[in-house]
Amino acid sequence: MSALLEVDGLEVDYGTARALDGADLRVAAGEAVGVVGESGSGKSTLGAAIGRLLPRQAVVTAGTVRVAGEPVLDLPPAALRRLRGQRLGFVFQDPIASLDPTMRVGNQLKLVLRAQGREGREGRDGHDSGGGRGGRGGGINADVAFHLGRVKLDDPRVATAYPHQLSGGMAQRVAIALAMAASPELLVADEPTASLDSQVREEVLNVVFSLAREEGTSIVWLSHDLPAVARRCDRVAVMYAGRVVESGPATEVLGNPVHPYTAALARSAPAAATPGVRLEPVPGRPPVLTGPSAGCAFAPRCPFAEDRCTTERPEPVRVGTQDVLCHRAAELEVIA
Amino acid sequence: MNRTTRVKGTARAKRTASVKGTAGGRRARRLDPLSLTGLGCLLLLVLVALGSLVHAGGDPDAIVGPRLQPPGPGWWLGTDNLGRSMLPRVMEGVGTTLLLSSAAVLVTAALSAGFGILAGYRGGYLNELVMRVVELLYSFPAIVLAILVAAVAGPGQLAAVASIVLVTIPLMIRLVRAAAVAVAERDYVTAAAISGAGLPRILGRHILPNVAGTIAVQGTYALSVGISVEGGLSFLGFGVQPPQASLGVLIRQGGTYMMAAPWLIIGPGVVLVLAILSINVLGDGLRDRFEPRETRALI
Amino acid sequence: MRLLLWWAGRALSSAVTLLGISVLIFAALRLMPGGFAETILGPFATPEQKAELAVRYGLDQSVFAQYGHWMAAVGTGDFGTSMISGQPVAAELWARLPVTAQLTLLAVAAAVLAGVPLGVLTALRARPGGGGVAGRLLSGLGVSVPEFALGSLVVFVVSRYGLQTSGYLLPAAVLSIFAISATARTTRDAVLNVLVEPHVTAAVARGETPWFIVRHHILRNAAGPVLTLTATITAYLLGGALIVEYLFNLPGIGSYVVQAVGRRDYAVVQAGVLLAATVFIVMNVLIDLLVGLVDPRLGRRA
Repeated sequence: MSALLEVDGLEVDYGTARALDGADLRVAAGEAVGVVGESGSGKSTLGAAIGRLLPRQAVVTAGTVRVAGEPVLDLPPAALRRLRGQRLGFVFQDPIASLDPTMRVGNQLKLVLRAQGREGREGRDGHDSGGGRGGRGGGINADVAFHLGRVKLDDPRVATAYPHQLSGGMAQRVAIALAMAASPELLVADEPTASLDSQVREEVLNVVFSLAREEGTSIVWLSHDLPAVARRCDRVAVMYAGRVVESGPATEVLGNPVHPYTAALARSAPAAATPGVRLEPVPGRPPVLTGPSAGCAFAPRCPFAEDRCTTERPEPVRVGTQDVLCHRAAELEVIA
Repeated sequence: MNRTTRVKGTARAKRTASVKGTAGGRRARRLDPLSLTGLGCLLLLVLVALGSLVHAGGDPDAIVGPRLQPPGPGWWLGTDNLGRSMLPRVMEGVGTTLLLSSAAVLVTAALSAGFGILAGYRGGYLNELVMRVVELLYSFPAIVLAILVAAVAGPGQLAAVASIVLVTIPLMIRLVRAAAVAVAERDYVTAAAISGAGLPRILGRHILPNVAGTIAVQGTYALSVGISVEGGLSFLGFGVQPPQASLGVLIRQGGTYMMAAPWLIIGPGVVLVLAILSINVLGDGLRDRFEPRETRALI
Repeated sequence: MRLLLWWAGRALSSAVTLLGISVLIFAALRLMPGGFAETILGPFATPEQKAELAVRYGLDQSVFAQYGHWMAAVGTGDFGTSMISGQPVAAELWARLPVTAQLTLLAVAAAVLAGVPLGVLTALRARPGGGGVAGRLLSGLGVSVPEFALGSLVVFVVSRYGLQTSGYLLPAAVLSIFAISATARTTRDAVLNVLVEPHVTAAVARGETPWFIVRHHILRNAAGPVLTLTATITAYLLGGALIVEYLFNLPGIGSYVVQAVGRRDYAVVQAGVLLAATVFIVMNVLIDLLVGLVDPRLGRRA
């Protein structure tokens, strides 16, 4: 059985800077995958590439992206739009800016529901465009209220508000309602809670994950917060310098990291700290690539690096439950 | 050491990449070829104007041949209704127009820098007053304001310069003030003020350098507006007065003999449009250079 | 309620500006070299004429009283009499208004109908690193050819080849070139600024078509700067109309004012300038109202 999302060997350049350097990612249907990395690790580029939402100056030099078997990067425009509209949903960092500032929230939702209704009549395979609102009457206003209710926005004033009148948390829930209105098969969330305070953050995450579970929607959640991701997701993929250096079950990646970078990341997380033990920041800075990395991009910061690490690109190896990009993965596993 | 320089370099490359698209770091900091061509044209016109001082194209007042002759040897742009060669007259016209416009723009830039920065940094009553005056001036259509000035001051060069200043100053003060407000809110300005830096030092060392780009861009556009206003005013007969030549005066005079001798109006007309166009193109380039726009559009 | 207050404040501030303009125009006339009486009557006026003028214009009263009289007269639509024709200025302005209004409105219509689509199209076709050289030159050329230069060329071609000019179309065309280019440039900038906003990315991500996105998410967002420009353009066109009317010899307000300046007919100049400034200020208030309706953020921000 093939996965819902398959990213293989994806390389993306912005001018002379390389954002993705051969990234691989697999997401099965109904699965929640957290993609973790520092800023600049390429996770946002990876997220955008899933919907071919890369800015114009981005050049894909190699690799493929498949969603439900469809080659996203090679689709003609109409098919691409259909894919985005029916199978994919996106939620972005800045919630208020992600909503049209000149339109009331309810009207934005109506616009999406109507467009989706049109597509629905043209026929969709597998999914019912009604997406959980079958059998209810009451017209479009009731639909709006229903979709806002799904993200726990029950106050009727929300529908008539403009985005700038909403709080960040409310706006993000509206954005989630918009993205989930078409009951997509895969929701890509790019740090949707980065600008929210911690209490609101939890509420928004609850909404996203429970709604996705209800709908059977897979989630790709891009974040820099490894422990938070590990708590909510089935699997975790750790990115470094444009590659996924380790992926596997969330608890394993957090609890028994194999790649030295993952291990360092896990140690540097405040939530994982044992009281009395100093937090260890990852020494050095992440590199910015201008072309393919010659060896392992983490080698300059890696305490275990040896000669071939700087000259030979690591290939994925299976260590226990994890896929790891490290020449010394097997030895390090023993050490761990 | 090596690492920090690399990080710095890449941070800059990344910023320009995200702002300027594929242009990359180097091209973003330099003017593009079209703007450079505009700059070249402008410099050429300045050279022409300087040449007219030493009568490089001939004596603008000398009668060189028959009246209203089409372009030919001895009078490469034709002769006017008195038999004077048009070439030195157009050169003199370029000189007059450029001199008046750039003098006016310098005044505008100096006043805008002074009042705009002060109003933006200080706020309060001064800000209110400046913005009121600006709004007042802004309410007049350019050529109407110029005509009012000409009516009060009497036609002539002074009216032309004063008109250009009054026409170009409202927009520039507004934008300089806005830029100054944005800078004044930054932490390092507050820090400088707290650490006891005097007002002149704050304005000169911290704010002026940050609004210089705005002044350069707006000054360029103002120069093109100035040339246009001088032309229009002189064309109506309220600006530069004959026998002194300016591009507007020449076009006005050429209009009289347009049927018999179209070259009288075509020469100065082409030069005028060329001057304004090259300055506008240069302005566009400067704006992209100083105020780069995000270009990450998806559609 | 808050919006209503804002509009009231906006109207009040416009009224203050208008008052300032009237003071400026009034002062400009009194400041003229040679004094008011001499300016009006010329250097060879007899003392009797001067005395009569002084009484008629209340020159023996204080400056404030004079200003008050003038404003009171203007308020009732009395702009004084033309020194040259002896006719009331208001009647002459009124008779000439249709010409100028037609010219200006035609040009504004052209600016909106041609400039806005042009700006949207060029913005959508724009690629990073700026448009093509030809496009940039053309857009630059549009705002670089002054009316008097373009108009002279058109007048030349028309009379050279004996073309029939029908009505105000040709003068309006000359007038509208700048307006169309300026509108197209502003629209392009405004649309480009909206295109990079996250909510447009979100719309693309929802699979909406480019045309759908333009219609529903971009036009309204880009309307603010374009509408504001329309007010400025209208004012600009009033000035341009002055030159075009002069060039094409049309009996509008512009040519009236140009003649008046040449003949030092100050009552006419005063009225013309006041009229132009008033139109601009009123336009600005109306446009602000419109912008507030189109873009809900603006009323709040101000």
